[in-house]
Amino acid sequence: MNTRDADPGRGNGERGSPGAPAAGVMSKLVSRVRFTAMQARVGVLVLLCVFFTIRSPFFFTSTNLVNVLVNGAVIGIIGSAMTLLLVARQVDVSVGSAIGFAGAVFAVIARDYGMAWGVVGAIAAAMAIAGINAVAIIKFRVNSILTTLATLVAFRGASKLVMDGRAVRVEGFRFLGRTRFEVGGIEIPVAVIVLLLVVAVFYVLMRLTKYGQQMYAIGANPQAARLAGIPLERQVGIAFVLTGATVALASMIVVSQVGAVSPTTGERMEFLALTGVIVGGASLYGGRGSVIGTLVAILILAVLDNGLVLLQVQSFWQEVSRGVLLLGAVVFDQLGRREAEVRMDV
Amino acid sequence: MTYVTVPDAPLLEIRGLSKHYGTIRALDDVSFSLDRDEIVGLLGDNGAGKSTLVKCLSGAVIPTAGEVYLHGDRKVFSTPAEARDEGIETVYQQLALVDIFDIPANFYLGREVVRDGWRGMLGILNRRLMRKRARAAVEALPARFPNLDADIETMSGGQRQVVAISRAGFWGGRLLLLDEPTAALGVKEAAAVLEMIGAMVSSTETDMAMIVISHNMEHVWSICTRLLILRQGRLVADLPKSETTRQEVVAHITGATA
Ligand SMILES: Nc1ncnc2c1ncn2[C@@H]1O[C@H](COP(=O)(O)OP(=O)(O)OP(=O)(O)O)[C@@H](O)[C@H]1O
Ligand SMILES: [Mg+2]
Repeated sequence: MNTRDADPGRGNGERGSPGAPAAGVMSKLVSRVRFTAMQARVGVLVLLCVFFTIRSPFFFTSTNLVNVLVNGAVIGIIGSAMTLLLVARQVDVSVGSAIGFAGAVFAVIARDYGMAWGVVGAIAAAMAIAGINAVAIIKFRVNSILTTLATLVAFRGASKLVMDGRAVRVEGFRFLGRTRFEVGGIEIPVAVIVLLLVVAVFYVLMRLTKYGQQMYAIGANPQAARLAGIPLERQVGIAFVLTGATVALASMIVVSQVGAVSPTTGERMEFLALTGVIVGGASLYGGRGSVIGTLVAILILAVLDNGLVLLQVQSFWQEVSRGVLLLGAVVFDQLGRREAEVRMDV
Repeated sequence: MTYVTVPDAPLLEIRGLSKHYGTIRALDDVSFSLDRDEIVGLLGDNGAGKSTLVKCLSGAVIPTAGEVYLHGDRKVFSTPAEARDEGIETVYQQLALVDIFDIPANFYLGREVVRDGWRGMLGILNRRLMRKRARAAVEALPARFPNLDADIETMSGGQRQVVAISRAGFWGGRLLLLDEPTAALGVKEAAAVLEMIGAMVSSTETDMAMIVISHNMEHVWSICTRLLILRQGRLVADLPKSETTRQEVVAHITGATA
């Protein structure tokens, strides 16, 4: 195999370690910065909730809050996998198209052969796309943005082919998207439970396991990771397969929620997820990010969407506000990094 | 750790090692052998092929031609992990540390220890054990060590160098490859690092040898027993320190042979 060092992406690691127990003075400072960033995220979320509660009598009701969670569920599920990818300096922008394609395959097969085969088809479709992405990135060493941009375009078209360009209805698939369990007088939708499970799984994977530790190393310094004997290709490949699994799950939730699949199903979800992941503290330069940060960020975005609708603000403002948040997060990230650099020179 | 050994075979033997990058002969038909307890200084100008030689031995680069024997046993390394498993520890010129990790995480990079039982099967890390062992190793070192918990990015160049060398020493092994261990160090720091390297070889009971690369001849001179000189990929001299002078070595490096 070729040994021209490491990955397509180069450059040195960025700040934000996964699990170094903080006790040293410097690492205390560094972790305090991270803690503040996390606090800032939670603070923004709380402030938004307070603001919308004051301005609208409908916001702080259990029905509405559950709606907020439901609206964030699909993005949160794919956002969890996206966080893992960004930590290892990879990205997958094909997830929206993949959700559309897996949904289309699901709908068509379910219509003709029954629901169980539809589920199998959706999983196979999502895994096929993940496999194509992984092979192109690992075997042919194509940059992950370019690879997944190509699959984004191709599978948007493919799903239109599968559906003959028309929406397909899916009847009687309620469980993932519409079933609710009563917990303490509040009806919790299955989708929200799935979201929390996915976040928990990715949390454990990234913070507590050898795999997670190696993914942070790969993102922070791919050359060092390779020289240390970490199997970069295998670990990154696993992350794309995990992304495929979350796509399969997300596509079934979407189909179940909407009861139909259209040629635009899943469109722009990659951008919503990526926005959440970056507002959540991950960096395209790798080595940084956490699923908890992503979860909080996606809740911020969901609350914002919901609140602006309740206040009957023109919907264009939702997009503007999302962009402002993203810009704010990126600037905040850059400021934090400068600070770290200054500290290093002390 | 025990390795397959052939009695009386040298610890390391290289025969006809070459590495070509297109038309560039980074390493050209290099042969030499190394006995246990030897500390060999590898010298040469920029681009002479020193790092390439080290990388061929560490599995980071696959040689175009040539053979490597450890204790008489032929070895072919296609990954750094394979060389490491044969007891070859390397400190690369670019250090190969992960900035965002602390010292224990860097020591165990690529060799992370998981917990026992079902947690181990899930790949759950045993951070406490790795920390404990790293701490014990760090405390046994002669060099004054930076804080164990600090992330590498908060450390000075000298401290990073100490961490990288200590990592190699931590794992022991039978062949230690140090590429520019004293580059970018101040006089005092360099002296401390050199002292630490010397202590590492003499302190181990097992067979061990070391190849040290440096631009600074004084640094090499102070710890090595033998000098290898590369010029444009070729081994132009192999001299015991006792039988040569600094002037002669410089002449070999520059090609102005007397
Ligand atoms: N990956 C590579 N691709 C092409 N050429 C390379 C590569 N690596 C090294 N070389 C070339 O091989 C030659 C030897 O390089 P090497 O890094 O081994 O030198 P060196 O003796 O370590 O130099 P320095 O003292 O500057 O570290 C140089 O001419 C270099 O340009
Ligand atoms: Mg070099």
